[in-house]
Amino acid sequence: MTKHGLVIDQERCIGCQACAVSCKQENNVPMGQFWNRVLTEGGEKMDTPSGGYPEDGGSGSLDMQYQPTACQHCENAPCVKVCPVNATYTRDDGIVEIDYDKCIGCRYCMAACPYNARVFNWDEPEHMPEEGTGDVEARPQGVVEKCTFCSHRVDEGLDPACVVNCPADARIFGDLDDESSTVSKYIDKYETDQLLEDRGTDPNTYYISGEMSPGRPQTSDKMESELDDVSPWSDGDDDVPSKEADSAGGESSGSSHSVEGGEIPYATPAKSGGDD
Amino acid sequence: MTDGKAYRRDVLKAGGAAAALGVGGSGFLQTLVESEEDQPSTSGFESFVGQNDVVQTVCSPNCRGKCPIDVHVRDGQVKKIEPHPPEDEQYKRACVLGLSHTQRVYDPTRLKYPMKRADWSPDKPNPQGRGPDAEFERVSWDEALDLVADKMQSLKADHGAESVLFHEGSGNYGQSGKSFKRLASLFGATQSAWGIDTNVGRGFNRVTGVGAFLPPTNEAEDWENANTIIVWGSDIFSSQFQMDASKILDAIENGAKLVVVDPVYTTTASKADLWLPVEPGKDVHLALAMMHTVFEDETYDEDFLRKRTTAPALIRKDTGELLKASDVFEDGGENQVVAVERGSGSPVALEPETGGAYALFGEFTVDGVECETALTRLRDHVADYAPEKVAETTGVDAENIRTAIRWLATRGPGGIAPSYALGRYKHGHIFGQAYAMLMGMTGDYGRHGNIHAHHSGGATLAAGDWASPSDADPGPSLTFPEYPDAMIDGDPHKIRAVYSIESNMMGNQFPDRQRFREAIRSLEMYVVADMHHTDTVQHADIILPVPHWFEQEDISSGWGSHPHLGYRHKVQEPMWEAKDDYYAIRGLAERFGYGDRFPETKRDMLRKLAGRDDDIDFDTLFEQGTQKKESVPIVKYTDAFPTETGRIKMYDDDAPSEEGVTFDVPRPLEDRTADDYEQADEYPLMFMQKHSRFRIHSQYEMLNWVREINPEPQLDIHPKDAKARGIDDGEYVRVYNDRGEMVVKAKYNDAFQPGLVNTDQGWWSRDFVEGHLQDLTHNEVSEVGQTMAFYDVRVAVESAPDDVDTDKYGSDNPRGSGAKATPTGGD
Repeated sequence: MTKHGLVIDQERCIGCQACAVSCKQENNVPMGQFWNRVLTEGGEKMDTPSGGYPEDGGSGSLDMQYQPTACQHCENAPCVKVCPVNATYTRDDGIVEIDYDKCIGCRYCMAACPYNARVFNWDEPEHMPEEGTGDVEARPQGVVEKCTFCSHRVDEGLDPACVVNCPADARIFGDLDDESSTVSKYIDKYETDQLLEDRGTDPNTYYISGEMSPGRPQTSDKMESELDDVSPWSDGDDDVPSKEADSAGGESSGSSHSVEGGEIPYATPAKSGGDD
Repeated sequence: MTDGKAYRRDVLKAGGAAAALGVGGSGFLQTLVESEEDQPSTSGFESFVGQNDVVQTVCSPNCRGKCPIDVHVRDGQVKKIEPHPPEDEQYKRACVLGLSHTQRVYDPTRLKYPMKRADWSPDKPNPQGRGPDAEFERVSWDEALDLVADKMQSLKADHGAESVLFHEGSGNYGQSGKSFKRLASLFGATQSAWGIDTNVGRGFNRVTGVGAFLPPTNEAEDWENANTIIVWGSDIFSSQFQMDASKILDAIENGAKLVVVDPVYTTTASKADLWLPVEPGKDVHLALAMMHTVFEDETYDEDFLRKRTTAPALIRKDTGELLKASDVFEDGGENQVVAVERGSGSPVALEPETGGAYALFGEFTVDGVECETALTRLRDHVADYAPEKVAETTGVDAENIRTAIRWLATRGPGGIAPSYALGRYKHGHIFGQAYAMLMGMTGDYGRHGNIHAHHSGGATLAAGDWASPSDADPGPSLTFPEYPDAMIDGDPHKIRAVYSIESNMMGNQFPDRQRFREAIRSLEMYVVADMHHTDTVQHADIILPVPHWFEQEDISSGWGSHPHLGYRHKVQEPMWEAKDDYYAIRGLAERFGYGDRFPETKRDMLRKLAGRDDDIDFDTLFEQGTQKKESVPIVKYTDAFPTETGRIKMYDDDAPSEEGVTFDVPRPLEDRTADDYEQADEYPLMFMQKHSRFRIHSQYEMLNWVREINPEPQLDIHPKDAKARGIDDGEYVRVYNDRGEMVVKAKYNDAFQPGLVNTDQGWWSRDFVEGHLQDLTHNEVSEVGQTMAFYDVRVAVESAPDDVDTDKYGSDNPRGSGAKATPTGGD
């Protein structure tokens, strides 16, 4: 079996927003909505740190990290369970998708998703340019939409748009069921977290924090399984530390992240009903 | 792409689409839309399933990236941008802005037709009509070029060709600029000389013989070999290097130490092993303390100093000049310096790139002349700059200063990557001198893993004398800071007309905006060619609409980037009546009688220029879309330095001076950052204008996807500074000094040093609630640096008046009404 998963190396992520915007372009995401947001772990607003500016000339307590966040494609997806019309479902390859023809816009899934990953088309979707961009299925007013892991690309053997457009090589996509895949190796060898692990959702999205990985050098837009070499960017085991040796990773928690107050109207709490 | 006619029709549909997005009204938009009939109806697409066409081309702004990209076209519209892997695939890259051309290419700010200011004529220029309220009328291309050519020729006849200024900015990295300069040279016009971001490079050049902007550095692919990277005054992961971010990240992953020296806790600082929160303007003090530490630890690279620098060269104590070989030996050269050989104690003339048992330190008497070595002089100079002593001045912990430089000096190859920011302080050239010498001490030149600037050099098309043909009689050049005096007062000579390409000079990156506006209002003719209706265009008399890069064929080159040249294939034909700059340049040349000096088509011109570069084959470049220039060295500084001695100067006996300070060795000199600056109490906050990841200068300001993330100008301010002034987070504030003011939203940001505030640059006037950040900056430059000092600025901040109108950022306008191209948007 194949189970698609994503590893995001937060040590590499530079918060450049290329993944957020290329996602909109690729997937024809309406204006005012984001499927993929780059959250700042730090201060209350985007690109601000937590802690205080050093007063003694030292390095002080300031701290900041970026956490790109989209649908986590959970193994045990709460959105799938609550959908009364089976519009949200899990594909055989692990990708959680929505059948927009079935969606009745009840938004139970938005309430159930602890990651605030879903958006609802309250109005007729607006695009700039008006005719839209992405060559994907159109979503009408009144349905919920979210990240699909670019399943239209994956089905053609291409990595998701956010992965191929990352200039920091911070996003790695692959088959979690294949233990020789880079995602599997990285999860094994680095300190990785799933967001809100205590919710039991078992996301197929993992975050590296602590020791930096070699990432996924962007020399091709093909999926790893489509490449001739098994893993041309992985030098092998000698350049990755063992998990035991590294205890640094920070705790990830959806509630500690924020974006600039109300300025990104992708899903306001009142409408989204997210529980964080 | 194969059917030109059908394609053109499809493109016009896109025009209709843009119109439906809120284009309409008057004023600002008159330059864009002639009439309602002119806009084709919006014929929406039935389906997103259509013919796919992928065109390989190149992004071309002055971020230096020159990223090869694939433009996906469907149903006659640009739909998607993706990075294209060039021949050397490790340089596959793009950023959030290059990926968003899909929005830029159809933005309503695109200029559509040649226009003339309604109340301008060659004989009655009505200069006061320029600016926010100017109205324009459509003219044909022939009319526009006739007007420009006639006026230029009459000015030439009456006042000399130098009364016309050809001003070129950095807005388009293609080859038209070279033909623009060629035309200026043949006409004899005054030509623009760069006055932005040249400070650090000038200082570096005094030491090494190279550097104009930032100095050359090893190509990005080599950065992973660095063991220590000191990023100095640069948010390298947000600006200019973000598309190559993986190269530094790979170095870190390989075990390199990253040090960031910056008053701001930037994205880059957040990745650092060590952050030095230096106070603005104190960088030279810090560099001297690092030199002090290297001397104290004796970790200098003795072999390098002997072989490639003038460290062992003798300085005459009587004159302060370097002892010359001609002073000592009968056949000694006048440019050769002299060292003393240890053991024998004999004087030796120093050859470039030649090591020997030269004494690095000591006092010697040669033929009765008392001397000391250059390194002795430098060590004595920095003796006063012990880390403990500068800790208070610089705001940096002494032990952290030591740690940073110890990493560079002892962990193998590495480097210092400064940005242009240091040169945005008036005397920033001194830092260039200081770090060039510091890296001489650590021996970090000519090795794998050395870094000397925060972006690499890349490939440039060598076009020989195209811009200045040997038979031309070019006019004088004028640096940017000299413009206002020349236009207003005729100092050094009167400028009466300006032809500007690739530049939003009235809207960004030209300081003291009100003074520059006054200067522009003293002109008889202001011709502006641009892609968008910028603030600058709004001040023009003649507007020449330039197509989007995707509608211009070109060779993407120019300084800075990866080692490929790129062929910028057209993705679509120019929309409306926009025409390539080359069309206007050649059209003017024909009217001046030099038409035969310019090939008839752009492609002919490009072929001709490519033919001048031995490393490039036009057809290969055209077909492949990129061609790697194999002659670009990956590692720089491997040969003798182009100084008189062939060596790095560790002492400069021919140094310039200013304000009573001579730069024989680096000596701190500050302007408005000085603690005793006379207006420090009145305007207590230093003001910088950081480059963000969301714009490149003022380009891409209109991208609606990006404006959803970053919708409006803000003032980054430490909460302590804000609270002391009773300013709440998110409140609109008035930022002012004795030159002007702006009103923006306050953003509490603990990343900013107390006493320092910031507004990211690149916003257009339409984005400010009041004023503009360039109303606050000044045009006073250092005599030596000759570079605009945008960050050497002081301001005061207070709550905005209650009656200030902030509706443009109301809940109805989450991305700012500026992005909707309102009728008042021109100024």
